[in-house]
Amino acid sequence: MQDQARLAELRQKFGREPAAPTEPRPGERTPREAQPRFRGLESGHRACQGCGEALAARLVMESAGPDVMVANATGCLEVFTTPWPQSAWRVPWIHSLFENSAAVASGMEAAMKAKGKNTKVLAFGGDGGTYDIGFQALSGMLERYHNILYVCYDNEAYMNTGIQRSSSTPHAATTTTSPAGKERMGKRHLKKDLLSIIAAHHIPYAASASVAYPQDLQRKVRYAMGIDGPTFLVVHSPCPLGWRHASALTIEVARKAVECGLFPLVELERGAVTNIMPIRQVRPVTDYLKLQGRFAHLTRDGDPRAQEERDHLQALADYNIQVFGLAGDGDDPADTAGVTTVGRGGPLAGRAS
Amino acid sequence: MTVLTRGAYAAPGTSLNFKTGNWRSTEKPVHIHAKAPCHAACPAGEDQQAWFAKMQEGHAQEAWLNLVTANPLPAVTGRVCPHPCETACNRAAIDGALAIHNVERWLGDEAIARGWEYPVDAPAPDAPAVAVIGAGPGGLSAAYHCLRRGLKAEIFEALPEAGGLLRSGIPRTRLPRETLNAEIERLLALPGITLRLHTRLGRDVSLDELNQSHAAVLLAPGCQESKHWDVQGAVPSDLHEGLALLREFMDHGAFPEARNVVVHGGGNTAVDLCRLMKRAGSEHVTLITASGLPGPGTDPDDIINVVPRELEEALEEGIEILDHATVNRLIMKGSKVTGVEVVSLKKEPGSDGRKRRVSFEGTERVLPADMVIPCIGERVDPEGLNHLLDGNYFWPGTPWGKLEDGVYGIGDARGDRGTVAGAIGDGAKAAEAAATYIAGGQDPQLDTREEMPAAGLNPVYYALSPRAEPPKVPPDARDFGTEIEGDIGRDAAMAEAQRCLSCGNCLACDNCWTLCPDNAVIKTQELASDGSHYLFDLDYCKGCGLCAHECPTGYIQMVPETA
Ligand SMILES: Cc1cc2nc3c(=O)[nH]c(=O)nc-3n(C[C@H](O)[C@H](O)[C@H](O)COP(=O)(O)OP(=O)(O)OC[C@H]3O[C@@H](n4cnc5c(N)ncnc54)[C@H](O)[C@@H]3O)c2cc1C
Ligand SMILES: Cc1ncc(C[n+]2csc(CCOP(=O)(O)OP(=O)(O)O)c2C)c(N)n1
Ligand code: SF4
Ligand code: SF4
Ligand code: SF4
Ligand SMILES: [Mg+2]
Repeated sequence: MQDQARLAELRQKFGREPAAPTEPRPGERTPREAQPRFRGLESGHRACQGCGEALAARLVMESAGPDVMVANATGCLEVFTTPWPQSAWRVPWIHSLFENSAAVASGMEAAMKAKGKNTKVLAFGGDGGTYDIGFQALSGMLERYHNILYVCYDNEAYMNTGIQRSSSTPHAATTTTSPAGKERMGKRHLKKDLLSIIAAHHIPYAASASVAYPQDLQRKVRYAMGIDGPTFLVVHSPCPLGWRHASALTIEVARKAVECGLFPLVELERGAVTNIMPIRQVRPVTDYLKLQGRFAHLTRDGDPRAQEERDHLQALADYNIQVFGLAGDGDDPADTAGVTTVGRGGPLAGRAS
Repeated sequence: MTVLTRGAYAAPGTSLNFKTGNWRSTEKPVHIHAKAPCHAACPAGEDQQAWFAKMQEGHAQEAWLNLVTANPLPAVTGRVCPHPCETACNRAAIDGALAIHNVERWLGDEAIARGWEYPVDAPAPDAPAVAVIGAGPGGLSAAYHCLRRGLKAEIFEALPEAGGLLRSGIPRTRLPRETLNAEIERLLALPGITLRLHTRLGRDVSLDELNQSHAAVLLAPGCQESKHWDVQGAVPSDLHEGLALLREFMDHGAFPEARNVVVHGGGNTAVDLCRLMKRAGSEHVTLITASGLPGPGTDPDDIINVVPRELEEALEEGIEILDHATVNRLIMKGSKVTGVEVVSLKKEPGSDGRKRRVSFEGTERVLPADMVIPCIGERVDPEGLNHLLDGNYFWPGTPWGKLEDGVYGIGDARGDRGTVAGAIGDGAKAAEAAATYIAGGQDPQLDTREEMPAAGLNPVYYALSPRAEPPKVPPDARDFGTEIEGDIGRDAAMAEAQRCLSCGNCLACDNCWTLCPDNAVIKTQELASDGSHYLFDLDYCKGCGLCAHECPTGYIQMVPETA
């Protein structure tokens, strides 16, 4: 009863309509409710138009749920899904701090174990919360070998506080704390190779995925869900606001990041690369850069500094392609073009022909 | 006792109480059934995208049933149509147009072999009857579409057999008689169609009588009369006109002997004649045409009006073609031709904006010839129709072909047609217009939907796959009876259908449903096959435009919020 009183008091204070649970209403199912998929993350969240992170989280929830609970670090995902007194989540969900979702998730997992439950714990964080401030907690979680899937939604900057650079921000991108100008061509440093560091923990599974390849992303989630132990997934999630591209281009931008080699899709088991997504047709990095305002200073004609940075990014992409062997040889149903192919009734990937 | 944390909690999914739909600033997504280019280009009005969709689901019979709502003669058109649909096909820019005609032909043949029934009901016993003149493709289609609209049809045909030019003009090597007969017979067997052979309008029955006895009259007499031809007043004494020669050959199997043949004109008659005469033993056969050959530099309006495949095969067989040229002078020995003087010419824009033919001085050359055959087209036989003709043809001006109240002109006789598919489409439109006229209404509405251009598709989602190629009899083995182009067969036809991009129409790929960051696309059943299984929930759609961008088919378009 104290609960109800406190809730009423808070609602009074924040002046919002009391939010009643919308479900379940027995006997009556709206088309939304009747959809043939698990709705772990519902509509009505406050993400920007075309948000890659909102999409990524929904895709993860669809294939992880329903028997899961989530620890979510501070960041856009946490903020836009839970404007109190509402929540877009339909699973148990706890907001940790910015720096400790892995630690909170570790506690949740221990509690589940103590209660004898199989509910899988997921930990979510942005790139800031993962590559930077939450890194120590994450490393501990991996080392203690908790049965947790950690998902990093990588939008390559601290978006929720206004686009500050993170160690995941790509080289030469403009952010509010690495502005392009007379002195510098955007961020001076390189994007941290987090996946290699994670893999060095010798965990069962660590992988990268992209919202541009949802079937591949969901396969990786399902695979990780089946593992009893720590697993890690980083999902490339464009941010139209921070990357400065049209909201309609979120998928196109993400796809081009993969196709040019700047965001390789790889899977590592016990530290070794076990699978990659081959690129059917490698494209130049400029195809990717020119779609985004954060790289606008690199596409200026006749500017030698721009030329040098473009060549630098191309060299980084070529390096990825070489190190991971991303260039496909011959058509493969699991390469970048193969997995996107659709036919009447859905994607062709995984369909018996 | 429960102790709450600072932030307290919220109930699951309650964000639904907050409608993000009002964040949309300017545009919202809508489903738009744009016309596929193949459909827009099809003179017979087929919706190839729609029937390919049925085949993609594995239902060949449903595909045929959809096809014959427009065109009752797919086994015929699959063989003889110049297939402008393939020229228009958006896949041409990717890895080759769909082999539409080969699949159409396979469906037509399959329907005959399996006895699939036309989707038409017998008209009511007291249904109004429409008179149809001519049992060529135009008249047959008109009668069939009258049935589809609940009317009876009585066809009057001057000749002893139905088929029009399909029977008397088009060679068997392109359209075997067994196929023609099978398809026509099953159409004519439909309850509600009566065929009166040996009955000629103007001789055995008059238009006035038909206007009295029938609720409407649909005129599909084709063009039967040769146009006058001479070269600067000269006419050889043994002149053979092209179509007449062809008809004679169809009936008797022989041509008059000639070593060097010059055919003057352009079009299917000219090319068919060239090929048959060459095969019959003429050493040199030269086609002289004022039009151009298809090529990157040729204006589409200037290209010779022949089925593209036929032109290719003619060249393969050694027919010489002098394009952009005309016969300037006949070289005669007495009243016999011994040669022709040819001159280059082109259609140039005139000062009045209309094209005029200009021949170029200094390009004259002489070719030996012992026979010169004009193939310059035919005109409507005016008997009984005089008052409806404007010169050589009807020229009705509208797609419905209306000439007078309740009287419609169809097919070649219109003056602005010239293909089997065109005649079939006219038959459908005239029947529709006649049905609304009989019911007391106005002309029907045209389908003015927009066409989906290749630029409106997202090609990322389609796999490359080469176009199906049919088997063919090699040039030196071609005779007068064996069909040259073969059947592609079930497997290739079904596989070819999978290549269709579904331009402008949902293919149920799930992209929008999978990729909307706001779950604003709702899927209503697990296994979808078309656009009817997806909804937009505009209460939550923020108008980002992502779904429209990632829709492979262009079925989702962003439109102004107010629309
Ligand atoms: C050699 C040749 C090859 C061709 N090849 C092709 C091709 O490959 N592809 C293509 O699309 N088109 C081709 N065409 C053109 C095509 O055949 C015609 O466009 C089509 O047949 C026109 O159909 P229609 O019904 O208007 O007329 P028709 O086919 O000419 O039929 C008219 C019918 O009306 C009858 N009739 C005429 N006057 C009367 C009257 N007064 N009373 C009663 N009955 C009458 C005639 O006997 C005839 O049966 C070819 C034409 C020729 C000559
Ligand atoms: C200890 C701490 N420092 C700073 C903040 C302010 N803060 C909230 S969210 C955020 C950035 C989040 O960036 P990221 O993790 O990349 O997630 P994104 O918003 O980009 O999804 C910051 C700096 C905080 N909440 N806690
Ligand atoms: S791809 Fe299919 S729908 Fe598109 S134009 Fe070609 S046949 Fe028609
Ligand atoms: S992707 Fe979703 S939110 Fe964006 S326009 Fe389409 S339906 Fe609306
Ligand atoms: S994205 Fe796919 S499912 Fe959605 S409307 Fe377009 S074709 Fe249909
Ligand atoms: Mg971030």
